[in-house]
Amino acid sequence: MPIIIPPCLQPGDTIGITCPAGYMPLEKAQTCIDTLPAWGYRVKVGATLGSPSENYFSGTDDQRLAELQQMLDDPAIKTILCARGGYGLTRIVDRIDLASFRQSPKWVIGFSDITLLHTHILTRCNIATLHAPMAGAFNDGGATGPGVESLRRVLAGEPQTYQAPVHPFNRQGSATGPLVGGNLALLAHSIGSPSEPDTRGSILFLEDVGEYLYNIDRMLHQLQRAGKLKDLAGLLIGGFTELKDTTRPFGASVEAIIRDVIGVTPYPVSFDFPVSHGKENVALKIGATYRLRVGSEGTVLQE
Amino acid sequence: MNRKNFLSSLLTIGAAGPVLAASAPAKTQTITGVNIPPYLRPGDTIGITCPAGNITAKEIVPAVQQIEAWGFRIRVGDTVGKKDAIFGGTDAERAADLQQMINDPGIQAILCARGGYGAVHIIDQLDFSSLANHPKWIIGFSDITVILCHLHTNGNWTAIHSKMCNSFPDDWTKAEPAQVDSILSIRKALSGERMQYKAVPNTRNRYGRAEGPLVGGNLKTIESLAGTRSDIDTAGKILFVEDTGEYLYSIDRMFWHLQRTGKLDRLAGLVVGGFKIKPDDPGEEFERTLYDIVTERVKAYNYPVCFDFPVGHQKENYALKYGIPHLLDVRDGEVTLTDSSIPAATHIPGA
Repeated sequence: MPIIIPPCLQPGDTIGITCPAGYMPLEKAQTCIDTLPAWGYRVKVGATLGSPSENYFSGTDDQRLAELQQMLDDPAIKTILCARGGYGLTRIVDRIDLASFRQSPKWVIGFSDITLLHTHILTRCNIATLHAPMAGAFNDGGATGPGVESLRRVLAGEPQTYQAPVHPFNRQGSATGPLVGGNLALLAHSIGSPSEPDTRGSILFLEDVGEYLYNIDRMLHQLQRAGKLKDLAGLLIGGFTELKDTTRPFGASVEAIIRDVIGVTPYPVSFDFPVSHGKENVALKIGATYRLRVGSEGTVLQE
Repeated sequence: MNRKNFLSSLLTIGAAGPVLAASAPAKTQTITGVNIPPYLRPGDTIGITCPAGNITAKEIVPAVQQIEAWGFRIRVGDTVGKKDAIFGGTDAERAADLQQMINDPGIQAILCARGGYGAVHIIDQLDFSSLANHPKWIIGFSDITVILCHLHTNGNWTAIHSKMCNSFPDDWTKAEPAQVDSILSIRKALSGERMQYKAVPNTRNRYGRAEGPLVGGNLKTIESLAGTRSDIDTAGKILFVEDTGEYLYSIDRMFWHLQRTGKLDRLAGLVVGGFKIKPDDPGEEFERTLYDIVTERVKAYNYPVCFDFPVGHQKENYALKYGIPHLLDVRDGEVTLTDSSIPAATHIPGA
């Protein structure tokens, strides 16, 4: 089934900003709110951003769902930017009514916990979404950095080409296929649920933050045992940042863990791809077709 | 350490306690499709192996001495004392040791020395088909949940969910009664006693009676089996869960996962064991308790739910007969979980 790619933005279009998961104070999103008009867009800030919520979430499940639903349904909102991830999508994702969104697709932007929304939309609607920096990434000079800049270009409709350096564990080769992936913990969490993506024939990308090495190993084994690493077109390994280890050291780097779990693959594999919770995090269209080339000079991913 | 005192005190307990079942069947017993290996008799052999984390030969000494005092023989596997990073040997070594014990007709039970992490590395390499000819009990919990779930789904084999070698105290005179009772319950379960457990009543419990096979284990491990051939079907069953070192948000996410993968809607009953919760990071206060999280997830259903059941990474962690039909009775002031595969009449008074 062909994947529907939402239209790019036109000057004057409105971007809705919402917090469907964890709480975010308004001031942490201010640079983003100030930057988007400079790109030529209007901004509509949802009430969940900087909400009066005093707990972990940016609002109750009902409040977060209602705002996301309203922005999905509102024809005046052309793109939805999730201000931050954290945790919370799984609590509302099955209650999202995707009927109107199916009729008029728009970009849904985010990563981390938002991975679940991406795989859900891809699986339920065959509509592409945007795995990209969120509001916090605009802070501390990030608004002019390569990650946010790639988001600006993608929204403006410019096809992107990304590069990664050579890595000793890379497996050279070329592949073409739709991109799927995101946060490893959320991909593992989606397995067995209505949001579980089919990865066959796809270029899968993975990143994570703050996980124990043994848990990364366990999640990769789950993906493998659930058939998610089989029949891929290609595999992109992003950043695994703020790693933790147990008192007894796991004894292998995250790169070695991944190399050992995937074993011998018929598809190309590229490490150190710029997608992560760190500074390097480029905008990737989940569901859109890319060409991947992993060679002796490095890696190129091209729309 | 005061092993001498401890052993004599234990032997006294043993003498006053249950008599080992004299007429345990030598073959697999099959009750409503559930395959129950023969219960153990004195002189039977228990193999000790490390399918996951590593353990030293010294660390299993308390378990070996205790189990021998119960009248069983011990076979120490090659992986005890082996170490490959955090594992009890390489994947190939751990798989070979466990496989050899599965195949060996002279071994009636396999005690996993400890959990940790690593069972998932070898589970798909193991061949359990010889259990049909040499049925035997596999014993463990935590990471060993991988093996317990796998055996339940592939062949409907029962097992023992219990403490392992690393939980046998060095000095029994200093061990808490709950820990001693938990260890002794392994012998009772293995010997074919009709097990009955009580939990301290919790005001958040939901009353009711339910009967079904008892399945579950470590919640994080259960989640990590979703989509794999070791995944469990929970329909019509009593699900028990426990975990350690997880944030509340992560526990919430795991209960959502149970629900979103269809593991909560057709349960016979839910048993929530111990959860050692990792404190929230500053500014990330979850503000829901474990009780809130579970209550919210099961509110659409009617089955009985009990909290604080004595199973988990804690002193009170009683041996549970995994996969065997149980009766869960949650009522005001009393919670019982009873092995319903053995008629009450054979219950030995004073056990």
